[in-house]
Amino acid sequence: MPTPVSAARACLTQEAVATLDEAVAVARRRGHAQTTSLHMVSSLLSIPNSSLREACTRTRNNAYSTRLQLKALELSLSVSLDRLPSSRTNKVEEPPVSNSLMAAIKRSQANQRRQPENFSFYQQQYSSCSSVPVVKVELRNLIISILDDPLVSRVLGEAGFRSCDIKIATLRPVNSFHGHHLFGYSSRYKRPQPPLFLCNFNSSDSTSEVSMTSKGFTFPFMGGFPGEENSRRIGEIMVKDKKKNPLLLGVSASDALRSFLETVQKKGEGVLPTRLIELNVICVEAEISRFVNGDCDEELIKLRFEEVEKLVQNSVGSGVVVNFGDLKAMGEESVCVDALRYVVCELGRLLQIHAGKLWLIGAAASYEIYYRFLNRNPSIEKDWDLEILPITSLRFSTEGSFPRSSLMESFVPLGGFFSTPTDMKSPFSSSYLNVVRCHLCNEKCEQEVTALSNGGVTDLSTEKNHSSLPSWMQMTENGALNGVAPLKVKDDGMLLSAKIAGVQRKWDGICKHHHYNQPLPKMNSHQLTFQFPCVPGTQVAEKRKGNASNDSSNHTFASSTECGSKNKVQFLSTDLEQISSLKTHSPLDVLSEAENRKISSKSYEKPSAVEDESAILKPNPLKSSSASINNGHTSPTSTTSVTRGLSLHMLSASTGREPGKPVDQCRVGRTKEFSGSLSTDADTFSGIISNHPTHSSSCFFNSKDPKMLYKALVERVGQQEEAIRMVVETIVQRQTKIAGRRGDLWFNFQGPDRLGKKRLVVALCEILYGSTESLVCVDLSFKEAMSHTDTLFKLQGMNTYDVTIRGKTIIDYLAENLSKKPSVVFLENIDKADPVVQNKLSHAVSTGRFSDLQGREVNVRNSLFVTTTRFMEGGQIFSSSQETTKYSEENILRAKGWPIRMLIGIDLNDDLTSQNATDKGFSSPILMSKRKLIGTDGSTAPCGGLETTKRVHKASNSFLDLNLPAEESEIWDTCSADLDCDSISENSRSWLEDFIQQIDKMVVFKPFDFDGLADKILADMKECLCKVVGTDCLLETEPEVIEQLLAATYLKGCEKVEEWIQHVLKQGFIAARKKFNHNACSVVKLVSYKGISPEETPQILLPARIMTN
Amino acid sequence: MGQSLLEALHVRVEGSGKKILVLAHGFGTDQSAWKHILPFFVRDYRVVLYDLVCAGSVNPETFNFCRYTSLDAYVDDLLHILDALGVDRCAYVGHSVSAMIGILASIRRPELFTKLILIGASPRFLNDEDYHGGFEQGEIEEVLLAMESNYEAWVNGFAPLSVGADVPAAVREFSLTLFNMRPDIALFVSQTVFSSDLRGVLGLVKVPCSIIQTAKDVSVPMSVATYLKNQLGGLSTVYMLDTEGHLPHLTAPNMLVEKLRLALSG
Repeated sequence: MPTPVSAARACLTQEAVATLDEAVAVARRRGHAQTTSLHMVSSLLSIPNSSLREACTRTRNNAYSTRLQLKALELSLSVSLDRLPSSRTNKVEEPPVSNSLMAAIKRSQANQRRQPENFSFYQQQYSSCSSVPVVKVELRNLIISILDDPLVSRVLGEAGFRSCDIKIATLRPVNSFHGHHLFGYSSRYKRPQPPLFLCNFNSSDSTSEVSMTSKGFTFPFMGGFPGEENSRRIGEIMVKDKKKNPLLLGVSASDALRSFLETVQKKGEGVLPTRLIELNVICVEAEISRFVNGDCDEELIKLRFEEVEKLVQNSVGSGVVVNFGDLKAMGEESVCVDALRYVVCELGRLLQIHAGKLWLIGAAASYEIYYRFLNRNPSIEKDWDLEILPITSLRFSTEGSFPRSSLMESFVPLGGFFSTPTDMKSPFSSSYLNVVRCHLCNEKCEQEVTALSNGGVTDLSTEKNHSSLPSWMQMTENGALNGVAPLKVKDDGMLLSAKIAGVQRKWDGICKHHHYNQPLPKMNSHQLTFQFPCVPGTQVAEKRKGNASNDSSNHTFASSTECGSKNKVQFLSTDLEQISSLKTHSPLDVLSEAENRKISSKSYEKPSAVEDESAILKPNPLKSSSASINNGHTSPTSTTSVTRGLSLHMLSASTGREPGKPVDQCRVGRTKEFSGSLSTDADTFSGIISNHPTHSSSCFFNSKDPKMLYKALVERVGQQEEAIRMVVETIVQRQTKIAGRRGDLWFNFQGPDRLGKKRLVVALCEILYGSTESLVCVDLSFKEAMSHTDTLFKLQGMNTYDVTIRGKTIIDYLAENLSKKPSVVFLENIDKADPVVQNKLSHAVSTGRFSDLQGREVNVRNSLFVTTTRFMEGGQIFSSSQETTKYSEENILRAKGWPIRMLIGIDLNDDLTSQNATDKGFSSPILMSKRKLIGTDGSTAPCGGLETTKRVHKASNSFLDLNLPAEESEIWDTCSADLDCDSISENSRSWLEDFIQQIDKMVVFKPFDFDGLADKILADMKECLCKVVGTDCLLETEPEVIEQLLAATYLKGCEKVEEWIQHVLKQGFIAARKKFNHNACSVVKLVSYKGISPEETPQILLPARIMTN
Repeated sequence: MGQSLLEALHVRVEGSGKKILVLAHGFGTDQSAWKHILPFFVRDYRVVLYDLVCAGSVNPETFNFCRYTSLDAYVDDLLHILDALGVDRCAYVGHSVSAMIGILASIRRPELFTKLILIGASPRFLNDEDYHGGFEQGEIEEVLLAMESNYEAWVNGFAPLSVGADVPAAVREFSLTLFNMRPDIALFVSQTVFSSDLRGVLGLVKVPCSIIQTAKDVSVPMSVATYLKNQLGGLSTVYMLDTEGHLPHLTAPNMLVEKLRLALSG
């Protein structure tokens, strides 16, 4: 859309308006529909005292005489103007201003506004009147912007000019190096002086040669070489009082040494301190090297040293520098030690005698070489009074790597964008990386460029669709252009030129890739990689969604019912593992897995819970389960929605039909003891659940009966009754006096039993909100999150914050989740959180508002916060690795689900063991170590047994590398313990005290009794073995196995482990008995088999089978 | 010099802790790059921030083409700042070129540093016999040529490349600070950086170092981190960051903070 001339006039100063009017007149005369930049150029050239013409004459790299070039310019301009379509018929009185010209005006406006000296002026204007001030564009700025126009630069190019040269000439008027109107970078800092950037080196730089200030522009890089810098530093060392003999160290140290010596010989003034100007250099490198290698005898070297001495004595200047050269020669293995010592002594002696007149200098390529030399002459640093000088800059191998003067193209920010083919003519154009495009690409590129500059903003993507390129390539280019996007805000002109640059780059890439079949230039290939990290999660999610729908369509109703019901069973049993598997598999997988499980469980479990449940659930009305499936795949949020669907299903199932049964079933799997109180509990549940849909969004304190809540919680958590009581009390208290108070509730759970805490929170969330959907878990201790995986916790797939969530801080994550809905927020290890999070939490607890990093605040009312610390009251760290406990919580939580293996050996009382065991051929080396065993009669104390098993484990290290990982993890423990103590700083502690003051309730958790449990498990296992084999057989268990079993108990409850012992282990014993004829003295040992890496094995703490050797 | 240098390089001291932590930015950024990291340390540390003389935020007149021909001049600046602030012990976090500066500074004044944390550090970018720095001479010349011919285009290509991870905000930020550098200074500094070789002197470093390396860094291959670890004279550890890009403090500040805290406490 062309702009009316009057509108364009409003943006210009008087001088510029006159030029524009002239241009409009030209356009009218020629009958053109629009006034373009070309008209403007023609007008600029024709006005008297034309600054453009003058600038053209001043461009320096003219190959032809200026007059000739100007003639050519006029010619090419008129030719271009002739080419423009003209319509004689409907002549416009004032041909409107074309978009490209208007864009140029806008661009110069923006530039002018950014210039620092104008900045304050416009700011004042801006503040005084409310409307956006109109910047009157000065002629010179306008010229510069017009020169950016590709059409113009082509015309100029045809005449042998380069628009960037003209630009520079325009920017720098004659006789003045201080063109104020250079483009200032949009720096945030206001500069005290005009932002010159071509001509200011001279002023700040007194040491550089005078030639720099001569006319025009000398390249600054020629001013100082790194070599000079090194020489200066060497000089500085040499004038010191102590340690004044430099030893240059670095890959290019020899080069630096050479250049220093050259400087010395040239009496390098300006580089070296005045004291060192008259130096003599003696090089003894060759002699020393030959001498220490035994190629010449002592006499020769003696002679040489005497020579040196004489020279020092007779020297008239400031002294003598003795170059002993590269240390490598003296550091080699073949070097004769005595000779070396002689050299060192002699040089040291010379130094002492002629202190102040004699310097040593040398070089070494790396520290290793110096170190080797140092090893042979430990006191060398003192003897030779050495100072090591690191040399880090390479000598430039090629002059070619030095920038050439074509750099100045890029000095003007907008310059150098247009690598039009005409550039090829000019002498400096070789610097373009990618001018070489084939004809076809070139044309296409130009088309796009023209389209861009004419149409202002053209939709690039549509154009790209027309091209026949593969889509990934288009994507890449899109990416490249996206990279430009940030600049959009700055200036539309810049955007345009950047876009053009992007287009050109694109075509370069395409051309190179397709037509030349050359390897892609580096930039392009990297853009590829940049583009690709598209969110894999969404794709996967979509796939899953697809699966879900497939599932429902492919299967009959009957099977989907079954699927639903089985899922439900697993969900209801609150088996943590199941939840995670639901998250990671599609329903289809779950179905098969569920079946697998069922099959496998049948093999060793009493056909109790699972079968019963499915039997009851099968006659479910079809409607409910199919509804759940529908829920699963219609909602947009993929897998979580499946879980949600299932949980909804659970709700609907329990509320819709007899409330007793499903809830009842979920218990059967877990706790048989509670069967007595089944009915009442079920009532509680259904009551809560049915309340849920109506009230949950407003407030969570809707469980009317605290006793019910307590019972339900105890049942689900299974321990920590005292803590639960306190929690329930607090909730109820809050409920009664909710009026006038904030709705958020803050707990702090202190002490050990991490799983217990988590379980309680999960249970709370499920009971209060009906599902774990609104549970947000964050472990704030930064170490645990990264350094080792708590396998047990990984099994839970809640809304857990993971540091790998890219670009999102914990705070953002919390704020985002809190803003969604009232939720239960579980923050672990707040004492180890970083200060930022801690501050936010303090803020939230005191004001009820949580603010994210951008300062946006989120209301946390109606949310339940549970924070945990391992601190006990009084700031004492609870350490479970104290003397009193054998099995620490940390180790249990870190236990891995290894397969368990059974080794059988014969205990032949002490010494003969090893021999016999190997003879029998069925023993592993572990058995060779001496052991004390846990007698089935119970005569040996369990503790003792454990000690010995530990020892066995240690002793076996030399044989079995399988145990190495375990050893490592032990080391880890100790460091992590150290770090933990360290990391809780004083500040953090004082913060915690403040924080605890503010929260609603502090709840102390008791440690979980792992030792007692371990005893019980051991006893159970012994009993089992006793039953199968008889009392004479001994059982030995590796600590890892015990830990694994303890972890299973901790996670799933005693019953599971008991069952496992009764079935799996028993089977194992039976199998072993068959295989080996147990006699009275046999020993059965359980070890964890670490042959398979934990990644490969599923995390099953209770393996379905015992491996025998 | 004196106070004027502190002003020119925008030296800031933030925070109230006892220990001193220096955060030094790398090529193409300025101290604002630490803004995501800074809040995590102001409580426990006094954090010293400054701009390298080549940063876009520093008045380009300060940049003396004759002085800053090698990294040693930058080291001078750093030591000068620390001395002027009266710092006698500090932990130092340096990114890219500042990591190299830190290494050199610790060689010169080992007693000044308790710990060096090197992010995206490389003793030498050029490949050499039995050393893989990631760049061939030709490639570097190409890069320099690209910078020379069209700085803005180079910035637009280089920024996403260097940032690596798909974090548009970080790309934006980096392009901005990179573009703020005057092209000739940027070119000159990259010359200096590419032409420096610290391999020979690594053994002189006695200060314990932590090397933080991202999984994929276009400027620093993984082998360099291992090389550094093996060659550095002091106790050194490598921390891997499970992200990509050369600028983890922009792309994954939370992950970096964890590693930094770990490195500082260890």
